[in-house]
Amino acid sequence: MKVRWELLLIPGFLITILLIVSSQYVFLQGSFHRDLGLGRLSEAMNLGNYFKFFSDTFYLNTLWITIKTSALATLSTILLGFPVAYLIARMRSRWAMILLAGVVVATFVTIVIKVFGLIIIFSADGWLNRFLLWVGFIDRPYTIIGNEVGVVVGLMHFTLGFGVLLLYSVIQTIPRSYEDAAQIHGASRWRVHWRIMLPLSLPGITVGALMIFNMSMGAFTSAALLGGGRVFTLPVLIQRTVMMEIKYAMAGTLAAVLLVSVILINLLSVYLLKRLKAARLVIA
Amino acid sequence: MMEMRSEMAVIQPRARSGPLPKRGLPWGRWFHWLYCSLSYIFLLSPMIVVIGASLHGGEYYTAIKFPPEDPSFQWYFKIPAAQFHALGLSFLLGGAATLGACLVGIPAALGIVRSNLPLKTLISALFRAPLQIPAIVTGIAFLQLYFLVGDATGLYAQGTFLGLYLGHFFVATPYVIGTVTAILQRFDNRLEEAALSLGASRWRTFRRVTLPVIMPGVYAGALYSFMVSFGDVPISIFLTAPGFTTYPVELFYGLENDFDPSILASASLVIFFCLIVLLGMQKLVGLEALLRSGSR
Repeated sequence: MKVRWELLLIPGFLITILLIVSSQYVFLQGSFHRDLGLGRLSEAMNLGNYFKFFSDTFYLNTLWITIKTSALATLSTILLGFPVAYLIARMRSRWAMILLAGVVVATFVTIVIKVFGLIIIFSADGWLNRFLLWVGFIDRPYTIIGNEVGVVVGLMHFTLGFGVLLLYSVIQTIPRSYEDAAQIHGASRWRVHWRIMLPLSLPGITVGALMIFNMSMGAFTSAALLGGGRVFTLPVLIQRTVMMEIKYAMAGTLAAVLLVSVILINLLSVYLLKRLKAARLVIA
Repeated sequence: MMEMRSEMAVIQPRARSGPLPKRGLPWGRWFHWLYCSLSYIFLLSPMIVVIGASLHGGEYYTAIKFPPEDPSFQWYFKIPAAQFHALGLSFLLGGAATLGACLVGIPAALGIVRSNLPLKTLISALFRAPLQIPAIVTGIAFLQLYFLVGDATGLYAQGTFLGLYLGHFFVATPYVIGTVTAILQRFDNRLEEAALSLGASRWRTFRRVTLPVIMPGVYAGALYSFMVSFGDVPISIFLTAPGFTTYPVELFYGLENDFDPSILASASLVIFFCLIVLLGMQKLVGLEALLRSGSR
């Protein structure tokens, strides 16, 4: 008897497509109406909200800050995470397990708790500031709460553990023997990294970077708490527009812009990578 | 014969054990270690600080400090009931979302890997889509969907368990599908053929051969979905109601509005809970197996 495996797909497929299409349709359609206050929407449909978004420098600036902080957080996460992932993946002692456990715990503890810790660390009379003042690096307490650095650090805490796990699985797929071979032939450590590890892991890094970027673009918690009501990213603004201003149509517009920019940036990156590959600038 | 064998042993390269002696400058390795230590300090310090500060000895209005002054466990006994309710809801929601994700995700993964439909890549892209949609967009989309359904039928789902559940289930399922698919793609079909040819029924083959092999993937996916649901703010914040909040949302409002030192204590409990879950997983399947299947 032959099993019809495709029948197993049907329930999941129907549920997923129902939830995606209905939820996305409702807010996209809502974004073309006008807010009448108190959550009511106008009958007529127009592009008013979108005109408002693209003619208002505040909104455009918010979009720019969202992209900028997400890109910075992605870059920093990869730069900070890759050496750690490499270390764990190539380690042969029991320590690897312990180091890995540290990363997994950091991934699974909710970001709100981590932000909480960050706020305590950077408080004006916390030990970090007292230490920096004592050393003389700074002449008044430094804080990351309420500025863009804080948002980037918050986003990094949101994505770093996840990023290390991703890069770890990428590095594990590259046989260690490749590195050994290069070393036997006299390549230095740097050269092995530069000519073997980097080109081989680049496709994986790109996929990981896009995932981290997408996470950052949709991240609300760290941006809301560390932005301190002074730095607005799109997710923070969306939540405010819904909860405080009760403007569902405008919030829908903001969400639509966020969604479309995420998709566009993803497509663009994939396209660029393909071009680079075709031009043989990337060995992959 | 003996001579020949010994000659072959000479020709064969000696099996190498252990890593090659490292070339290059020694400070390169030191730099790597230092760099990684700094990364770990960056990664773990917020959690250590929260646990440390939860031993806050002062009164309600004294500033929270790390390291705490005159440490005590007093705030662990002053965690208000609301936080326990929120924790309970988060556990229930995470568990239910994980269960739903497994029930839908495992068959879907089997279907993706084993069927040969023409648009298979498109279908698996669709299953991954909930992860591509920014979380905050999912939150507002479900909220507006519930408004629409509520206006039509009079049944509003926001602020109810069902409403929260659908949102969490939506983002949890792709994790299970991803991890189980990853394992199934490496599955050796001969195992099943062997079981079938020895007279096992289809169902028995699945129960006794297929399921045990894909179990690490199921555990990994379940762990991911539980933790994603358990820590979620951007979706839950729209779908909860006053008096009916999940733990991270409760914590979020606590940080934003009325700060209470007892949330440090409950947050520390959650960190310990995550640690215990992790140790359990390490005993059950091993972290490495967990991560190997976790590469979505």
